[in-house]
Amino acid sequence: MADEAEIFSQLKQAVMEGDEDVAVAAAQAAVAAGVDPQRAIIEGLAAGMAEMGRLYEREECYVPELLVSSEALYAGLGVLRPLVIASGKAEKKGVAVIGVVQGDIHDIGKNLVKMMLEVNGIEVHDLGRDVDMERFITATQETQADLLCLSALMTTTMIAIKDYMPAFKTQLPGVKIMVGGAPLNQQLADEWGADGYGENAVEAARVAVRLLETK
Amino acid sequence: MHRDHSVKGKWVKCDQMTSQERWEALVNRRPTDRVPCLQFMLGHTAVVNGRPIAKIYDDGAESLACQRNAMALYGHDGLIMHGWANAGGAEFGGEIEFPYRKYTGAPLMKKNPVQSEEDAWDLRVPDDILSVGTMPIALEFSRLQYEAGLTVTLQVGSPLTWAGSVYGEERLMIWMLKKPELVHHVLRVITDFIRRKADYWIDRFGAERLMAFDLGIETNKLYSPKQFETFGFPYLREIHDHLTERGTAIILSHICGEQNKNLPLWARLSYGKRGMVSVGKEVAISKAREMFPDCVIMGNVDPVTVQEGTPEQVRMLCRACIEEGKDHPGGFALMTGCEVPPQAPPVNVDQMVKACRELGRY
Ligand code: B12
Repeated sequence: MADEAEIFSQLKQAVMEGDEDVAVAAAQAAVAAGVDPQRAIIEGLAAGMAEMGRLYEREECYVPELLVSSEALYAGLGVLRPLVIASGKAEKKGVAVIGVVQGDIHDIGKNLVKMMLEVNGIEVHDLGRDVDMERFITATQETQADLLCLSALMTTTMIAIKDYMPAFKTQLPGVKIMVGGAPLNQQLADEWGADGYGENAVEAARVAVRLLETK
Repeated sequence: MHRDHSVKGKWVKCDQMTSQERWEALVNRRPTDRVPCLQFMLGHTAVVNGRPIAKIYDDGAESLACQRNAMALYGHDGLIMHGWANAGGAEFGGEIEFPYRKYTGAPLMKKNPVQSEEDAWDLRVPDDILSVGTMPIALEFSRLQYEAGLTVTLQVGSPLTWAGSVYGEERLMIWMLKKPELVHHVLRVITDFIRRKADYWIDRFGAERLMAFDLGIETNKLYSPKQFETFGFPYLREIHDHLTERGTAIILSHICGEQNKNLPLWARLSYGKRGMVSVGKEVAISKAREMFPDCVIMGNVDPVTVQEGTPEQVRMLCRACIEEGKDHPGGFALMTGCEVPPQAPPVNVDQMVKACRELGRY
């Protein structure tokens, strides 16, 4: 039987190299060896993605590498996640809705945030880009989400977040709201009444987990 | 000529040149009375005219009228142009939306023309390039510029940015690593399209009247310098060389966002008879000066401050830029680091020309 640490390291490596086939093979090897799939996700796949996030921050890799890694990550998850769910041990940290606000089609950052939330055990419903207030509200209600994540990349569109906020507060009581995107900062997030802000995807996941724990 | 104005009770003398004279002097390497103020001002010109922002993009005549009125109002010295960042996709059959809806500030791609590998391999330069996508609007705009005796402008990429519009940026980035030959194929087709477009403009309006410009979002927030070198630079160089060989008067590159590591490559491009380079707040004016000794440097007032800040904050940023750039041997013009935000308060935008008059005298 292959050693657990060895399998974790293969999964991690597959994600970092962006190799979907190796990720799937390593995930299958994990299953065959009877490794806890939840741990294989966290200590293997997610660890690889987190490392990529760190490399990106140090400008040692760039967005194309992140995207290719995320494909390998999802390929591995495709094998492991159904098993976690079937085992009934899925520790789902919560449900989130994410989208880029109306008028804004910058979605690269949002997609990275989505992925980091998913690897941290959050179920994410992605509304895509150019999303208006009503769709955020209905999707949050329909999925009974605990967390609503809004992304805006321009000064022109970040105003939408401010405009949406009063309606979110009245129509989505109890739902935590997290915001992000290059023109935003903690101060604006506070001013507009958001519960959380994250400067990058790694930070976003950390904040999301904290918000869900304190809910 | 523009009126005198006062700053904190002190009068600042009016200009010694008209905007037209100042622009021509800058282009022809002659001294100007003060630092020129050039703007990427598109959507905002519609706002000050009380018109929908979309008109800047989907209606040549209205676009030109709005831009000229805004110049007369603020007194900046250029630019007048038709173009946007998410360009290229519509010309290859993609679906574009003009910014009529709330919060939209520029055209956006509703559907990228390339959805599959087959689509990518099938991509061709259309036979009649003048009839596809937004080409009729661009041509009408340039025709009106020509008739009005203005510099005629022409958007020429960048090819990699256009490829994002053709593919969708994420697919483009993934295929860069996984199917580089496919990405090169698409870049080849896009570059051929742009060359044909450029040839048409040159034949029709004359190279000596032309300002070709590219908007390049090859930022190091997305791409590595190596990826820029492989997928961005060769095609940009081909287009710049072609334009230069054909005698193009002005070539302008807007180097958007964080591109410090790409600058050595941008600096190796040819820039026609007169090069102009506009940089964002991420690139220091001093750095741009060092890299482009012979080009007009334009920049780099933070657009977010122009929208969200106070006139005094804008003025401080302008002062810093002017001090850093004013005596650049290649020429310097004050500009925002990217497009003037459409909803920027007019008093903030006005500060920029005021700062040139007050702090930018030669
Ligand atoms: C790529 C890009 C584009 C691409 C977008 C492709 C796509 N599918 O996303 C294209 C070419 C289409 C484009 C178009 C335009 N763009 Co643009 N674009 C950029 C660019 C170069 C990079 C953005 C990016 O992807 N960064 C990389 C990602 C990984 O970072 P990020 O998005 O910031 O995301 C991270 C964090 O912010 C955070 N985060 C993001 N979302 C969220 C959400 C939550 C909840 C949390 C917690 C965190 C979080 O985590 C992410 C991951 O770490 C920036 C310049 C720059 N350097 O920022 C300009 C920029 C955003 N664009 C700008 C502009 C003006 C435009 C246009 C209007 C230009 C025009 N006139 O045509 C159009 C508008 C189109 C539209 N309607 O949306 C301006 C905005 C200025 C402003 N007013 O604020 C910028 C800043 C350029 C500049 N220097 O001024 N653009």
